Amino acid sequence: MEEQGHLHPLTVAIRDIAAIFGRMGFGFAYGPELEDEWHNFSALNVPADHPARDMQDTFWTNEEPRRVLRTHTTSVTIRELEKMAKSGETEKRMICIGKVFRNEATDMTHEAQFYQYDGFAVGPTGTVTLAHLKGTWERFYREYFGYDAKIRFRPSYFPFTEPSVEVDLWFEAPGKKGRWLEMFGAGMLHPNVLRNAGLDPEKIQGFAFGPGLERVIMVKYGIPDVRLFHSGDIRFVHAFDIHQK
Amino acid sequence: MKTSISWLQKSFDAPLPHPDALIDAFTFHAFEIEEAAGDLMDVKVLPNRAADCLCHRGIAKELSAILELPMKRDSLREPIPTFPQSNMLKVDIEDNKKCLRYMGAMVCGVKVGPSPAWLKDALESVGQRSINNIVDATNFVMLNIGQPLHAFDAARMQIQNGAYSIRVRQANAGEKIMALDGKEYVLEPSMAVITDAHADTPIGIAGVKGGSAAQIGNETQDIIIESANFNGPLVRRAAQKLKLFTDASLRFQNNPSPELCAYGMRDVLDLVVRVAGGAVEGVVDIYPTPQTQTPVQTSLARINGLLGSTFSREEVAHVFERLDLSTNIENDTFTITPPFERTDIVIPEDLTEEVGRILGYDRVVPCILPATTISPDQARYRGIEFVKDFLVDRGFTEISTQSFSKKGDIVLANPLDKTNPALRTDLVHNMQEALTKAAYYAPLVLPPNQKPKLFEIGTVFTKEGEQIVVATSEPVKDIPALQDNKDYIPCLYELGAFKPFSIYPYIVRDIALWTPAGTNAEEVLEMIKTQAGELCVKIYLFDTFTKEGRVSLGFRLIFQSFERTLTEEEVNKIMAELSGILGDKGFEIR
Repeated sequence: MEEQGHLHPLTVAIRDIAAIFGRMGFGFAYGPELEDEWHNFSALNVPADHPARDMQDTFWTNEEPRRVLRTHTTSVTIRELEKMAKSGETEKRMICIGKVFRNEATDMTHEAQFYQYDGFAVGPTGTVTLAHLKGTWERFYREYFGYDAKIRFRPSYFPFTEPSVEVDLWFEAPGKKGRWLEMFGAGMLHPNVLRNAGLDPEKIQGFAFGPGLERVIMVKYGIPDVRLFHSGDIRFVHAFDIHQK
Repeated sequence: MKTSISWLQKSFDAPLPHPDALIDAFTFHAFEIEEAAGDLMDVKVLPNRAADCLCHRGIAKELSAILELPMKRDSLREPIPTFPQSNMLKVDIEDNKKCLRYMGAMVCGVKVGPSPAWLKDALESVGQRSINNIVDATNFVMLNIGQPLHAFDAARMQIQNGAYSIRVRQANAGEKIMALDGKEYVLEPSMAVITDAHADTPIGIAGVKGGSAAQIGNETQDIIIESANFNGPLVRRAAQKLKLFTDASLRFQNNPSPELCAYGMRDVLDLVVRVAGGAVEGVVDIYPTPQTQTPVQTSLARINGLLGSTFSREEVAHVFERLDLSTNIENDTFTITPPFERTDIVIPEDLTEEVGRILGYDRVVPCILPATTISPDQARYRGIEFVKDFLVDRGFTEISTQSFSKKGDIVLANPLDKTNPALRTDLVHNMQEALTKAAYYAPLVLPPNQKPKLFEIGTVFTKEGEQIVVATSEPVKDIPALQDNKDYIPCLYELGAFKPFSIYPYIVRDIALWTPAGTNAEEVLEMIKTQAGELCVKIYLFDTFTKEGRVSLGFRLIFQSFERTLTEEEVNKIMAELSGILGDKGFEIR
């Protein structure tokens, strides 16, 4: 009898993430990888003269008007918020897992293309707070890593959130001393972003987050090099024992 | 921002706590510390605070708020003297969007020489080189309060009717300037230059670097000091194009307040006269549109409503006090007029962030989102996963490949890899490449005699638009279409820890032996495995047949090293030894 095939570890992780966030009421959204400048930058409150819009950080097409290979899946967040403004909904929770691109030299921890699992939760003012962001992520990590995960916030800055925080995870690899790992950036959606989506920031607020997917998988399974993920190499897919849950 | 703890200490009467406590204070309330060693800390100032915190005063101010340590003195809260108007200097700005303010000061009769020890030590404590007392004074003030400054030798400029003249203008195409680093730079009209207006020659690249034409030398007596403010993006792009990143360009590109120019001028004139003598003849200040401070209003409910916190009115009021933000409190409403250097405080949420970080995000108690009435929409994702599960069931293994390709409908303006400048229009090419590699790796990872079967689901980009498509390494007639499927529950898997694999080539050897009927093939395999040693990474029985009461067992051995490429010779040697041992055990090698 022919053996079963193997899923790529990214897919295994995407399903875990979608299931955990699904239990917390998050849908799964898609958006274009080739984005217009509005959804990747302007709507997200990234100023016109911001360095991220320069050629050395971001891939641009040679079209007119130029388009951008999305630098984050936050572009899907803004598209979902736009839909919300049109439909008149007042609450929404979505994750958007997909490929993003950065024009930077590759090494063991950097790839020009990688995945992010952006997400957001919004609701009427006062109902979705920074405390909920913390609660959501503590629960996510507890379910994903299967132990009493702890997280902490540090001050940070992103144009599309205010306040912005850096999220650290207390990680205990089997048999090793625990340590804090810097995981991702998050924060409360900037009023300008909500406004740009056509929502009223005096009525709607919420949080957003944008972790890298490969990073959390590398932490969980002890993968040394991010370049293995999109190499098309079956040795990587076969480098794990796999059992259906 | 390279920060010296002893430099910070000068702002405080009370001794600063241990460096570890300082690191914690910054990390959880302001900025990450990238590196710390002895007296030196590398503070990773966040982009929204780079306007006021790329200097020791800014860092000290933060520390004062976080640790509730009063500052001995804060030079940005001390008054600006009325400078005498200069009769020897004229300044003219061509475009006040590019140069927001230009203050020039004429100082006569300085004596250039080495700096006093304290000044040298201060600069060296943050890794700067001492040059001479004039240049050191400008650098010290910049590192202290954040205002970039420059000094020109007046004698190297033209004088007409008893006055020098500086003009800030757009650079001419192809205009050349010899900079202080001894290199010649060719400028572009997108840049701005400081010129000696009488000669119309450039003496500095605005916001980036001074020119050698008016360089301070040992014989210099009369100097012109510049304390100016240039447009951030203009400076950033100039620095980038010229590949000339300086302390000045780093600061200007973060748009410090133009108000700061006056404080910089006050401090540098003081210091120059103190360390190099001379007398201030006068100052020219061209400042067409002075900065105004707009008050920002927020309330306790608004702050707690965003953070999900239960901070009290007193705590919040105290945060603003600690941060030295001028606050008017009416009931639970706070009206704050930010000081000029805090250009980052514009909307109520900026104040919420100040409260959150100063009181500490550890005080925000985790809270689970309430149950939602909306059922989450995961239909598209589930539809895609349905197809993946179907293919895995058919023995296909999933791969992920790069989106860039040699040819395509959409071409990048700035590809990273010039040989792959386009976006893929299909997954077929990558699939063929992956399959070729997979066929080679098959003996390492797949069960015996199984050929690789691969699939990928990914985005392709064509003239018609982008779409998610499926590719398989061989046709699958009944493959389901990619379509929304709201009810499908994708299979979840448990993965073991990553098992590293070797990147070196492998070598395959087969060995077949006659064994007596009834021999346990498993035991023979185990024996061969032990004898073959660590370099044998995989072994399996690939052939069995019986003839005249004897059984022939054929084993395939795969050799590979984690450290190097194995040679045929060493594998042959292992096999020869193995044959010998098997012979000794009474097996006949076929």
